[in-house]
Amino acid sequence: MDIKDIKAIIDLMKKNSVSEFELERQDFKIKLKRGGNGSSPQVQYDEPPALAYLPTPQALTAPAATAPLAAVASNELEVKSPMIGTFYRAPSPESASYVEVGSEVNPDTVVCIIEAMKVMNEIKAEVKGVVTQVLVENAKPVEFGQPLFKVRPA
Amino acid sequence: MTTDAQILSALRSAENGGVSGAELAQQIGISRAAVWARIEELRQLGFEIEASPHLGYRLLDEPDLLLADDLLARLGRTKVIGRDIRVFAKTSSTNDVIEKLARDGVKEGVVVFAESQTKGRGRLGRQWVSPARKGLWFSVLLRPDLRPQETTQLTVAAATALWRAIHEQTGLQPEIKWPNDILIRGRKTAGILTELSAELDHVKYVILGLGLDVNMTANEFPADLRKTATSLRIESGKPVLRAELATAILRELDRDYARVCAGRFAAVADEWEEHCTTLGRSVSIHVGDRRIRGHAESLDEDGALLVRTEHGHLERIIGGDVTLDK
Repeated sequence: MDIKDIKAIIDLMKKNSVSEFELERQDFKIKLKRGGNGSSPQVQYDEPPALAYLPTPQALTAPAATAPLAAVASNELEVKSPMIGTFYRAPSPESASYVEVGSEVNPDTVVCIIEAMKVMNEIKAEVKGVVTQVLVENAKPVEFGQPLFKVRPA
Repeated sequence: MTTDAQILSALRSAENGGVSGAELAQQIGISRAAVWARIEELRQLGFEIEASPHLGYRLLDEPDLLLADDLLARLGRTKVIGRDIRVFAKTSSTNDVIEKLARDGVKEGVVVFAESQTKGRGRLGRQWVSPARKGLWFSVLLRPDLRPQETTQLTVAAATALWRAIHEQTGLQPEIKWPNDILIRGRKTAGILTELSAELDHVKYVILGLGLDVNMTANEFPADLRKTATSLRIESGKPVLRAELATAILRELDRDYARVCAGRFAAVADEWEEHCTTLGRSVSIHVGDRRIRGHAESLDEDGALLVRTEHGHLERIIGGDVTLDK
């Protein structure tokens, strides 16, 4: 299944007002949910997706793979990606990362950049707290709604 | 429109080449003495204005300066872009200035130009050389009703607008390198950096930053850029009046922004594809420490580049550094 197929499913869901879609195969499971007010679909993966690019062995051993969504501690919040793109932890390759595990953040603290076609999206923590996990490796592709960081609210 | 902008506009449109002080005073609603004082101010700025007893005031020559009033007068009416124009002699980066305005809640359409930037930047913190009065370095604030994912449409729109304005003003035939660099004879002339502030499902604002090498001569480029960068002056063989080019770009941006907002992105994308010379070429793409080589086959409906890799897979590229192989 690639991004085209997912888009096709989302389009079909929109057209037919289907609010939930689930597909399970041997090593792959996808669940799509739409809000009732025509808002954009939420994509949830049980596996770290590497759809825009071929998966690399490292991607499969990235922390995301060992942290399924179900295991999120209830008091921790996730910072999610608002778009498909490439995840950058620093403003430039020479710069230090915006945040590390243990960094204190405020709602306005920039935690990373997501890039798609030279649109640079500075992602803010949106919450006051401490970063407890970085879920994606630098310069790796991310999907819409994919968790990027975990933050323990202060 | 301010008084200066009204005067310049009247001088440019004067039918028999001149307009009398009395006419100007009446048109604008100020005294003849005030007209005279404003004309003096404009002369101080470098506008060559002749006062003849028979023809009145005549505009003989204009300086290659960016002045907010002058840009507004040249631009005329637009839907959104350029409703408010601000020019800075020097600033860190026009994107930084716009970001502050955006956070202050300023309406969309405001444009900030700088005659020079001390920290002009490109993708991932790369430096953008912006020497004083040689180019156009400016940023536009937009607040489109788009989802974050759809904002890539704006970078495509910016590239087509820039293409049309350059072509119309210089007669040159630029190429678009995916996603939105403007090249002439294979050398970079303009770049676009879009910065987005968004929540998960909606865009707060978009900053469109444009850098365009206009009147730089070959030796004004740093040595390491001479083989890969060029200016409109080098390519067309003559200097370009930046104010005229700047307003042409704003007009075209306004048109394409309206098309995107009206859901007519497909029309913009067709135009973009027509000028995008990356298609059909062998390309290398660097994303982080990963390198992808292959043949750029086509664009998908969102503008992503579809590359057939050496291994025969079709990959959808949405970012990274794209190099055109020889």
